[in-house]
Amino acid sequence: MYRIVIDQSLCSGFGDCADLAPDVFELESGGRAFVRIGESADPAVLDAAAACPMGAITIVENQAA
Amino acid sequence: MKDPTFWLLARASGLTAYVLLTLSVLAGLAVKSRPFGRAVKAASATDTHRFLSLLALGAIALHAITLVLDQTVHIGLAALLVPGLAGYRPVATGLGVFAAELATLIILSFPLRKRIGVRAWRRLHFATYAVFAAATAHGLAAGTDTLQPWVFGLYLGAVFAVAAATAWRALNHPIRAKGAPHVPDRDRPIAV
Repeated sequence: MYRIVIDQSLCSGFGDCADLAPDVFELESGGRAFVRIGESADPAVLDAAAACPMGAITIVENQAA
Repeated sequence: MKDPTFWLLARASGLTAYVLLTLSVLAGLAVKSRPFGRAVKAASATDTHRFLSLLALGAIALHAITLVLDQTVHIGLAALLVPGLAGYRPVATGLGVFAAELATLIILSFPLRKRIGVRAWRRLHFATYAVFAAATAHGLAAGTDTLQPWVFGLYLGAVFAVAAATAWRALNHPIRAKGAPHVPDRDRPIAV
């Protein structure tokens, strides 16, 4: 499982994350991204984090899972 | 004697646009390849990249406007829009028009990226290399100052820098292959 954290002070609403992993990330009406679910096993979250132009997404692999 | 103001401005803004374009490409490549590690955040590189792109577009616009106002070479409004229409070195100036129009298209695609999709937008962004190549050829072939050693050195340095930064970017591809093993590290998140 991957734990997903978005640094809201960095997010500028590029939307790459919501495009690449729509089940996990969503853009709110104000343009910022938020995490729909805090944990996911979908490797697409890694692509989304790598694609973020602001480096605002941190993914930590949960060892407990 | 003709007033050389616009001619000098056109040459200076052309070189300025080329420098800004080069710096913008370098900053764009630095967003993902992170040549300065954690000292420079991706967010700072992205902001710098966007800022430099807009400055470059401004310098290109100034370059175009001053060339129309100048009386040394006769470039009309139509020649600014259609590559090859200019009587002065038509192929070389045509490359400049092509580079400027493609650069404008790439910058305009940014606010439309949600509509065209991130993957399509990224593919379009690769056309920046065509902009850089065309701008380099345009500068070398159409530029009045190309034969000055410092100007020629500028082109050489820009091409070398972009080639080196592209190689660095290619070797530091941050997106891992799907299914590759992840090594958990408490201090170092696996993706940022």
